Amino acid sequence: MAADLGAVLGAARAQGSRRTGGRRAARLPRPKLSRRGRTEALFFWLFISPWLVGFVGFLLGPMIASVYISLTEWDSFTPPVFVGLDNYVQALTGDPVFWKALWNTFYYAAISVPLGLAVGLWLANLLNKRVRGRKFFRTMIYLPTLVPLVATAMVFKMVLAPSGPLNDLLGVLGVQGPNWLLDPLWVKPALVVLSAWGAGSATVLLLSAMNGIPREFYEAAEIDGAGPFRQFWSITFPQITPIIFFNLIMGLIGAFQIFSQVYILTQGGPDNASQMMVPLLFDQAFGFYHFGYASAVAWLLFVVIIGFTALAFRTSRRWVFYETEVR
Amino acid sequence: MNARTRWSSGVAGVAVAVLSMSALAACGSADDSGDGGTTTLTMTVWGGDVDKKSYQERVDMLEEAHPDIKVDLQLIPSEQYEQKVQTMIAGGNGPDIMQVAEGVNVYSSKNQILPLDEYVSKSGLDLEERFGPTGTLYSYQDKVYAIPDRSGAMIVYYNKDLFDAAGVDYPTADWTQEDAQAAMEKLTVPGKQWGYGGAGWWAQWWSFAYQNGGQIIDDAGAPTVNTPEVVDALQWANDLTFKDHVVPTAAEYADMGPDMGGDPAFAAQKVAMNTTGFWAIGGLLESDFDWDIAPMWQGEEQAVSAFGSGLAISRDSEHPDKAFEAIDYLTDADAQQVIIDNAQDVPANVQVQQSDAFLEPKWATKDINMGAFADSSEFVFTSPLIPEWNEMQAAFDDNLGTFWNEGGDAKTQLDAIQTKLESIVGQG
Repeated sequence: MAADLGAVLGAARAQGSRRTGGRRAARLPRPKLSRRGRTEALFFWLFISPWLVGFVGFLLGPMIASVYISLTEWDSFTPPVFVGLDNYVQALTGDPVFWKALWNTFYYAAISVPLGLAVGLWLANLLNKRVRGRKFFRTMIYLPTLVPLVATAMVFKMVLAPSGPLNDLLGVLGVQGPNWLLDPLWVKPALVVLSAWGAGSATVLLLSAMNGIPREFYEAAEIDGAGPFRQFWSITFPQITPIIFFNLIMGLIGAFQIFSQVYILTQGGPDNASQMMVPLLFDQAFGFYHFGYASAVAWLLFVVIIGFTALAFRTSRRWVFYETEVR
Repeated sequence: MNARTRWSSGVAGVAVAVLSMSALAACGSADDSGDGGTTTLTMTVWGGDVDKKSYQERVDMLEEAHPDIKVDLQLIPSEQYEQKVQTMIAGGNGPDIMQVAEGVNVYSSKNQILPLDEYVSKSGLDLEERFGPTGTLYSYQDKVYAIPDRSGAMIVYYNKDLFDAAGVDYPTADWTQEDAQAAMEKLTVPGKQWGYGGAGWWAQWWSFAYQNGGQIIDDAGAPTVNTPEVVDALQWANDLTFKDHVVPTAAEYADMGPDMGGDPAFAAQKVAMNTTGFWAIGGLLESDFDWDIAPMWQGEEQAVSAFGSGLAISRDSEHPDKAFEAIDYLTDADAQQVIIDNAQDVPANVQVQQSDAFLEPKWATKDINMGAFADSSEFVFTSPLIPEWNEMQAAFDDNLGTFWNEGGDAKTQLDAIQTKLESIVGQG
């Protein structure tokens, strides 16, 4: 996890600094490597090679292959038949289920990601207070993340039952709860509820970031007469924006790739109301033997994800604050 | 893992599978034949512990009777089976003998499994005699691609205690749909107990459609799901829940527990009748109420679905002759009896279905009308095992979700499904 974090932050920083230094450096003639430099380069390639081999063999290779497959009709048994862009055209113009799944995935991501961040932030802020039993609460909040998803899903089937605990609770508040998993209108919110269950993993990261904020900031703010809200918005929040940003990116990618929850809880039903992109491409490939079409769907999903990730990075300059960067 | 690799790990999932296939292809075609004149055959089956035990016992018998054959039995969990076998075949390393069911024609239509007619006639095996009408169930374009191995009709389970308490006669094959509904109504205690477990599963409501004289796919291969016969059957099945309230609604089932349906609800005495396959018997033997089984009721005609599986030989087999020899032995009476002795399933071999070993199984702790299976086999309808079976099922699921959960108009839904099926079947 720590490595992930560093990588994303590094990428974000690199993007910030590229404009100033990057281009000029490229024009300089390449300096000759000293003997020590060569040894270091050798070791670099030596140590990076396991990852490189894995990447080329198991990611880059299959990715290139899947580009080709997406241009064919292939049932995995007989040789693929080249059909050009037919699969893409079919997905975008001829398959209502594709659009439904895309819309469902948007819906899910648009609610579950901000909600997960808000809940995670709120919990982290609570746990950052010096309350009794703080360690216990921290453990409890992270615990759901450790429960296998299948078990969680089974429990949620009961929790979300029409007369289950959740609706009982809503009943106490005078709200008539819906038939969560059975109603096309409510099945996506039900999945969102399940996603909020996993907010604990974000909490842990946010909490450690909060712990890293120097106490002096708060002391100074207190002397200046800032209340808890003001302190949160002016000190805590800006200081942890890189971690929020990291969680946003990871959350977006994770939300667009939602699979297991759908597969276990609803199988995409009722009437495809909870069908998402990855379950759709899984069904197409392994259920219906349309590997070409499934690959095309995968690449369309890639375009969507990369688009949103790029958007997030673009806006990040406005609200993500890195202490080491002076602007 | 940065954003990009994380992304690609998902996107390339399919592609990874592809790569592993080619990797498999590379290491395929390795040792298949052992030395000393024995032939090693790989055989893939799905299931759990009881299946493993049964298949292994049968394979042991086979190896004893045919010392020149060794079988490498691979049991794959049911939900991964199709994917696993698909990968093996795509890698050019398909099993010699593979278990197949409704999806058989995915393989046969693409020549991934061998037509068996030649082997059948060479060995002098009479499919009709050994298996009855199911003998040629696994056919595609008039060629047989798999030999039936397990095959049982859907049967009616009924709770004798609840029937007695309500003063209703036990179900028989002579019941009409009206008789069945009348009984369901008498057996229902609103909000507490229901007459019937419901017919939301294809095997259930399709039976009603065929009882009405309808067909899902007609003999020429065209879908016919919006014909009046099929519409009436589906509407009836749905009305039992939403109009007559003799079947629990999806919401009521969900309140009973996770993954609740007719089978567990029957075991919990929530529903008085349930239509399902052989597999429910094992669990019910331990129940503390009195129950029995009967053949399915009828409509205009007698019709009921059956489920089972067959054994096929993949095109990759280097020893199809030996593989067929093995299948021939495994589906003969001796080896088939193991299936019932272990309470695994209904053996496809009719001789065994009519034997004492089947009619009075040694594990039965009570009298069970096991003859119901043999009686039913006379009016089992031939399921439309089209190559696009999975897609066809998805077309039904996609359009009947809300219909089953909240009620609705069968004609509207079936019109939509008909259109969808026409495009699926049309693709060929």
